Amino acid sequence: MAEQSPESTAIAPPRRPMSAQLKAGLLIVGTIVLLSLLAPWIAPHPWDTISIHTRFQPPSMTYWLGTDDYGRDVLSRLLMGGRLSLAMGIGATVISVLFGVPMGLAAGYFRGNVDEVLMRVSDVLMAIPAIMLGLLVLAVMPPALWKTAVAVGLVYVPLIARVARSVTLGLTNEEFVQAARARAENALYILFREILPNAWPPLIVEASLRVTYAILLGSALSFLGLGAQPPSSDWGLMISEARAFIDRAPWIALAPGFAMCLLVIGINLIGDGLREQLDPRLKGQIAKA
Amino acid sequence: MTLSIEGLTVSYRVPGGTVTALSDVSLSVPKGRTLAVVGESGSGKSTIALAVMGLLASEAQILAGRILYEGTDLLGLEPNARRQLRGARIALIFQDPFSVFNPSLRVGEQVGEGLIHHKGFSKKAALLRAIDLLHEVGIDDAAAVANAYPHELSGGMRQRALIAGALAAEPDFLILDEPTTALDVTIEAQILDLLDEQQERRGLSMLFITHNLAVVRRIADEVAVVYAGDVVESGPTAEVLAHPLHPYTKGLLAAIPRLDAREARLAAIPGRLPDLRRLPTGCRFERRCPFAQPHCRFPQAIAAAGSARAVRCVRASDLATSAWPKARVVAPPPRQQPVAAGPVVATDRLAKAFTLTRGLAALTFEGWTPVMRPVRVRAIDGVSLTITRGEVLGLVGESGSGKTTLGRAILRLVDADDGTIQIAGEDVTLAPQNTLVPMRRIAQIVFQNPDSSLNPRKTVGEIIARPLQRFAIVRSCEVAGRVRALLDLVRLPVHYADRYPHQMSGGEKQRIGIARAIATDPQFIVCDEPVSALDVSVQAAIVNLLADLRDRLNVAYLLISHDIAVVAHLADRIAVMYRGRIVETGTRDEVIMSPYHPYTEALLSAVPTLTRSDHDRIHLPLQARRSAGTTGCVFAGRCPRRIGTICDTVEPPLRAPRPGHTMACHLPLGGVVPTAAETVLSVGPSAEPRDAAHLRSK
Repeated sequence: MAEQSPESTAIAPPRRPMSAQLKAGLLIVGTIVLLSLLAPWIAPHPWDTISIHTRFQPPSMTYWLGTDDYGRDVLSRLLMGGRLSLAMGIGATVISVLFGVPMGLAAGYFRGNVDEVLMRVSDVLMAIPAIMLGLLVLAVMPPALWKTAVAVGLVYVPLIARVARSVTLGLTNEEFVQAARARAENALYILFREILPNAWPPLIVEASLRVTYAILLGSALSFLGLGAQPPSSDWGLMISEARAFIDRAPWIALAPGFAMCLLVIGINLIGDGLREQLDPRLKGQIAKA
Repeated sequence: MTLSIEGLTVSYRVPGGTVTALSDVSLSVPKGRTLAVVGESGSGKSTIALAVMGLLASEAQILAGRILYEGTDLLGLEPNARRQLRGARIALIFQDPFSVFNPSLRVGEQVGEGLIHHKGFSKKAALLRAIDLLHEVGIDDAAAVANAYPHELSGGMRQRALIAGALAAEPDFLILDEPTTALDVTIEAQILDLLDEQQERRGLSMLFITHNLAVVRRIADEVAVVYAGDVVESGPTAEVLAHPLHPYTKGLLAAIPRLDAREARLAAIPGRLPDLRRLPTGCRFERRCPFAQPHCRFPQAIAAAGSARAVRCVRASDLATSAWPKARVVAPPPRQQPVAAGPVVATDRLAKAFTLTRGLAALTFEGWTPVMRPVRVRAIDGVSLTITRGEVLGLVGESGSGKTTLGRAILRLVDADDGTIQIAGEDVTLAPQNTLVPMRRIAQIVFQNPDSSLNPRKTVGEIIARPLQRFAIVRSCEVAGRVRALLDLVRLPVHYADRYPHQMSGGEKQRIGIARAIATDPQFIVCDEPVSALDVSVQAAIVNLLADLRDRLNVAYLLISHDIAVVAHLADRIAVMYRGRIVETGTRDEVIMSPYHPYTEALLSAVPTLTRSDHDRIHLPLQARRSAGTTGCVFAGRCPRRIGTICDTVEPPLRAPRPGHTMACHLPLGGVVPTAAETVLSVGPSAEPRDAAHLRSK
């Protein structure tokens, strides 16, 4: 043909190395998840054995993080509680993403009445304080951890939906979506195969933020007695129980508080790192000058 | 010399290395003259402007060189002294008039801003001066414009206001970074005139950065061609463009489609810029150069060629007379003549209006009475056209004339309000979207922006395979084979199937967009500005590809472009669109060589060319003298040949001066029409009363 090699043979840009924050985040969260999963086997003491003799022991070689008011080992309870807190945070986020993403995609793509109805519903949901909504759900049903997770998840549906909608609004005007319409693709294909893969980066950041909020909200509900039930050890519940002794035995509250802090930081780091990692357009910018 | 750049070397730190944007660049601009810097994207031309202004990004490093402005080295100045110089003595005008203004400040404030900072004007005095300046750059109702917000002005108006702002502090040096690229040709011509006029009046020296050689010929005294950070050729504009010495300059010139000479295929420059992170040690153009010889691998020095010219090519003197090789049409298959099977696309009085304000925004008050008055724009207004099998219909017009809407309305990507669309004999005007599958297979689209038209999350293979699967064109086991065949058809190597869009250049992405469109084996493709986002050398290759595919597949195109030269190169027939209406249609030669409609005439004469002189150009007023009424001709407000009130009151009938050539105008068909020179309308103040028409009426 007229020109056999068009503007060819540029080397594909190298795969972006993992950013430091992603590595740090993965390390923190990975450690917490691993320790929590292995809790029954690595916990140095039984997490629920009450012993009068060992009440309020400060951290020592035997009890690394001390003991609480019932003489239970704080470290063991922390490890076991990690499972519940993580399950809570991740479970709730999965639920909010499962409902919120399709809602936001539909609202952003179809616009018009669909948009109005979905977004007004989510406005109403957002207007109610999260903790009230959680209380409402749990008030009508006997408390159980999975119900707390569902309640917290539903609270965050509108927030995820908002983000999904705003990303979709932008992407709907992109020409590749027009090209899909010019192929007579149906709306489901366009939403989930063309738009959604490009909407993930902001959604992942938002969802990772939600995991941390969900853990906090779940803890708050546990704190109010509506989440994990004693003697289970949710981190929120642990803090709530330790409140009374914060002056005498601060370690009981500090340990779960600090653990929660670490987890939240770790998850946020992962969220930020993933956004950069996942965006192919960011990688392409290397070649620009 | 007002400005001279000596041995400037600039690099950018980027992930994965250092990009050398400029290597040892030397340029000089004599006082009162214009130097144009030409190059493709990535050549480093904008870096020159930023380096002179001292606005380089923080990743940039100036490794060597001096920038002398009237004898002082700018690079040695303190930041404060540098800032004093910037704006006051040297002003910069950016490419995009749409994003330079702050949208929440009035234009007058922004034009006069420099006076407050550099000349210590009071706010009030600055505003008064700003109004004077706006008047000086050809804006008639300057006070109203000064009081307007940027979004209320059209692109041409904004660029004028920007120039006024740049001139405010009376600089003697102007740097213009692609000042007309975002504008329509008619507006571009006016801005270039304005720059000429201001240069003469103020004795300005200008550094004009552009990719468009025709604009260079129009405005510059001298030109420097840059390639991959090297100046490859410099000299007086007329000489360089008439007798280019460097192969790259030859290639650039050959790649431009011309209105006057029609080649079967454009000459394209193969390949792409070298990787600026690992520059070749020898000639940087060697890999793309058809004249390359083994000794081109050694470093090339810039050498004087004649009295005023310099060229960076050892073979320059050998090649002085050899032209860039013409594109070969390899075994052109006999072009199948359109079968008399009826048109593949036919529209009848198609119309589409957009409502700009809806809901509460449309609520206005007349006195105390609330009235709902939604603002509606007729994007397409009664368009009837037919395209037969294998035919290319070119659609030209300024931005905002409704070209894109028309293309999308034909494909039912936007729903028309009125009129009918037939595709391959089938009326699809009202068919529900889910019954359009057969139509969608027949009619496809290629988009303008190669960055946005490919899903960044999909590989090229997936992108091309999808239409094959969607329409079950081949059995699933044959999809991969067909993808390879399609890649081959658009002349990309087969291994590109595994790449993601961001791993390809703009031209390659556009090839993928074309491959996706032809995958369904369509009879008709809407090409919506398929090359306007590409560099000249790449543009030529894509235009050639479209021509080849038309010949091979006998597919019809609706070729939408604001670039008449591209349309004229490919099209069999041309339709000219203005404000939603087709004002003239005819065969390519009829429309280009002997246009009937005054708008076509003006559009053609505004196109900057490499050969024609500019004296006989028709100047269109920037904005309509009156807002287009509901009756009469849509073009009457700007028409240089307006006959009288009939133009304002009676809608021009569609008439056929020749069989197959139609136009909508009241002008007598056979009558002697006055020459362009007699009808030149000045851009300056006119006796006619003007309403707020320069405030954008759309």
